[in-house]
Amino acid sequence: MTTQIQPDTATRTADPDAPLLTIENLEVTFRTRDALVHAVRGVDLTVHAGQTLAVIGESGSGKTVTSRAVMGLLPRTATVRGSIRLGERQMVGLGEKELRRCLGREVGMIFQDPARSLNPTMRIGNQLTEAIRVHLPMSRRQARERAVELLAMVRLPAPARRFHEYPHQLSGGMRQRVMIAIALACQPGLLIADEATTALDVTTQAQIMDLLLDLQQRFAMGLVLISHDMGLAASYADQVAVMYAGRVVERAPTRRMIAHVRMPYTRALLDATPRLERPPHAPLPVISGRPPDLRVLDPGCAFAPRCSRSQDRCQHERPELTEREPRHEWACFFPCADDSLPGEDER
Amino acid sequence: MAVQPPDLATARGADPAADPLDATATGPARASRRRGTGKGLWIPGTILGLIVLACFAWPLVYRDLPSPTAGSLLAANLPPFSPGHLLGTDPLGNDIVSRLLHGGRVSLEVGLTSNAIGLLLGGSLGMFAAFRGGWLETVTMRLLDMLIAFPSLVLVLVVSTYLTPSKLNVIWAISFFSIPTFARLARAATLRLREQVYVVAARLAGQRDGAILLRHIAPNVLPQLLTYSLLWVAAAIAIEASLSFLGFGVPASEPSWGMMISRGQAYISSNPELVLIPSACLFLTIVCLNTLGDALRARTGAP
Amino acid sequence: MTAGNGTGRPLLEVRNLVQEFVVRAHGGVRGGVVHAVSDVSFEVRAGETLGVVGETGSGKSTMVRSVLQAPPPKSGEVWFQGVDLAGARKRRDLVAARRQMQAVFQDPYGSLDPKWTVFSIVEEPLAAYRTGDRRQRRARVEEVLDLVGLDPSVFGDRKPGQLSGGQCQRVAIARALTLAPALIVCDEAVSSLDVLSQAQVLNLFERLRAELGLSYLFIAHDLALVKQVSDRVAVMYLGTLCEVGPAEELYRNPLHPYTKALLDSIPSPDPERPRPRVPDELAGEPPSPLDPPSGCRFRTRCPRAAEICAVEAPPVRAARPDHTVACHFPLSPAAPVSPVEQSGDSAAE
Repeated sequence: MTTQIQPDTATRTADPDAPLLTIENLEVTFRTRDALVHAVRGVDLTVHAGQTLAVIGESGSGKTVTSRAVMGLLPRTATVRGSIRLGERQMVGLGEKELRRCLGREVGMIFQDPARSLNPTMRIGNQLTEAIRVHLPMSRRQARERAVELLAMVRLPAPARRFHEYPHQLSGGMRQRVMIAIALACQPGLLIADEATTALDVTTQAQIMDLLLDLQQRFAMGLVLISHDMGLAASYADQVAVMYAGRVVERAPTRRMIAHVRMPYTRALLDATPRLERPPHAPLPVISGRPPDLRVLDPGCAFAPRCSRSQDRCQHERPELTEREPRHEWACFFPCADDSLPGEDER
Repeated sequence: MAVQPPDLATARGADPAADPLDATATGPARASRRRGTGKGLWIPGTILGLIVLACFAWPLVYRDLPSPTAGSLLAANLPPFSPGHLLGTDPLGNDIVSRLLHGGRVSLEVGLTSNAIGLLLGGSLGMFAAFRGGWLETVTMRLLDMLIAFPSLVLVLVVSTYLTPSKLNVIWAISFFSIPTFARLARAATLRLREQVYVVAARLAGQRDGAILLRHIAPNVLPQLLTYSLLWVAAAIAIEASLSFLGFGVPASEPSWGMMISRGQAYISSNPELVLIPSACLFLTIVCLNTLGDALRARTGAP
Repeated sequence: MTAGNGTGRPLLEVRNLVQEFVVRAHGGVRGGVVHAVSDVSFEVRAGETLGVVGETGSGKSTMVRSVLQAPPPKSGEVWFQGVDLAGARKRRDLVAARRQMQAVFQDPYGSLDPKWTVFSIVEEPLAAYRTGDRRQRRARVEEVLDLVGLDPSVFGDRKPGQLSGGQCQRVAIARALTLAPALIVCDEAVSSLDVLSQAQVLNLFERLRAELGLSYLFIAHDLALVKQVSDRVAVMYLGTLCEVGPAEELYRNPLHPYTKALLDSIPSPDPERPRPRVPDELAGEPPSPLDPPSGCRFRTRCPRAAEICAVEAPPVRAARPDHTVACHFPLSPAAPVSPVEQSGDSAAE
């Protein structure tokens, strides 16, 4: 890489242990015609440089809304409360203009559908050049050189030729590579991948994930994987946060989480995921019911109605997410015991 | 860069709770999703209702309304607010209020009927062609394209000149080129629906083509055609007015707004109200139809 | 457990199925041909589930549509319960056969007409086949809705827009069940559902299989998902079948390099399994079906490809009992390799 960009001082502070992203007590409500939808109900998350955090949840769990709140991409009907700090800077309440300046420079994002995230009428090279020049004081020529470098960095085959192609001429995987190049144009400290590989084939997914982790290590980025796929989280993330009905219900280092699931919801998710190791036709242990109505704020645990371990207390009192074992937090009064994988040692 | 919420693209019309960002998702409009209700709908709706009521019901209720054509020259050119003639009379002594109401009737009749014909014939033609596909579709659509390519007013002029000028012939003439427009719209909608999985599913369920067309395609195409037809009623009224203005419209025995404008033109310097009053009515009606059509279109999500 | 193994003819037998589409370039001038499905043969036996896995563009959905005759294939035979659907001259034969072969598609909302109520959606096949009178139909609709776990009195009058994705999929399954079919074709039927509702629907499929003796042709891109429900699994790549074999065995000892690559790419929640690794040769993506490689379709990405692979399309061989592979250099050469006729009546041993 010839043109190294100076890291933004705001995100990479002197203290290497300071988190890149700190979300504290984030609440997001949407106004609809007849009700308030409490999509995110008090989320705390931190991401450090070089760390990969996977946020896992079903649709409606609030994982995507959380990531969009960080990027300031929520519609006008949304109200955001709480604190989102990128480095030292408070993002909640930041003006549109300042927000735009931070985005791309300090945090990049890639989406599930690269076809819709790229402008179909522009050559990919121009889109990338534009993204660079929005944030960096570069001449057009410099920006173009940088763009080709970026395309090579994301391992797009024949980058100089692809530079002049339109999005529809690329395959889904290649488009996602271009999106990564655009997201990383200014070497942000933090990259959020929102279901970025969900629409891709497994072989392509494996390649894209390889690329993401490689880039993450190279630039000591923080990486947030938003996904519904426990397998993806277990394979690629250092830490997993499981969300349900707008709250984080369990958070731990990946291996620890998988080996010692505490929260019954996480257990249910893991059990219900088809696995290669399972024999054919073995019934999947699955819980009944549906996620709760997000318009209603219940005093108790949101998972209680579907939970086999729930008791009276769960209906009236909401368990807080607390660190109950070293580096392992969960929000449950009656957590699962360690019977899931007996003899499993923590690494 | 278009930023779409991808996770939410699998739009869940079901429970707004599940996907709060749903309102921003560009999916097919679902019945449960309501938006844009209110002013855009009921203001033009009410005004139109009043106009229709006045034109069609008032002459029946109010028996003393003077005849629109049998005016006395003795009462010619009365100014507005004359006794018995609220808006005065025209140079032939016909009561303007009466002419307005009767004229509105003709204009609305022409607009609505020519649209109904266009919607029914054009709509079914387009749906059928698109559903069948193949050479049938190609031939039908090319023929209709030819009609569209022909300058509309010239076409209408030709038709209404060769047929004797009568209300019915004007209606046919206007329908003649509303048909291809509706056909194209119906075809586009059908092509999209034809690929919908539920249409394939219906076929796999053993449903006959006719039944699929009637029960799956038509109910989903119709709302789009209906909202569009509101815009077309306005256009048809305007065309009728231009025809009358040019003297090819409905015969003199039946006044229409367009004819009132065309007749009043000769007196525009001395009696501008002869042009202004019917023009205002025409304008109001067309604006209301357009806004109503737009509001409905936004609501049903039709293109 | 493969019920009906070896007893008589299979329920569904597909021989040398070919489906191609002509595409127009911009302006509609130059045409290319998409070789979506090229010479595919397989069978579904009574009471069994055949899973078909493949990536985007592998032609698995096109293959399924061809089997359903919507649209009919370009060439090849589709024998279903002793009738060749592709050759069925009379519409009546096709309609009669379709009664026994129903389908569930991917998009839970798209496969239901948004203007219809759940009740009329589920009733439609009965009405289309003029089956029973009004009361009998109502009873049948309520019966199948019960079967898929939807209370008819609660859901009967709702419209698809008022249901969740999982519920919509249950309605689609109920509709497929009304005519008591022998075979249900599932095209990515659970792929768009969340993990928990996906598991619920998968369990429902399994329960219906046990209770009603259904057979399934189950298409999905997710290998773990397919294994969950399948007796046998077929792996598809760029319009051809690479490998067909019993699920457990195919996943444990894949014979085709592509199957192995697919298996290696899946991230697993099991912390013991290594991180997915894609061999360098596999980097990149499948070639376009507009211009598939000569010989073996997989050769451009295959780590084992040799000269012969570019020249000659590998024949389908029975590498193990009931386990066929189309590869010149299968991964496990220990088993005796004997060529097999392409006709399709290969398997029953």
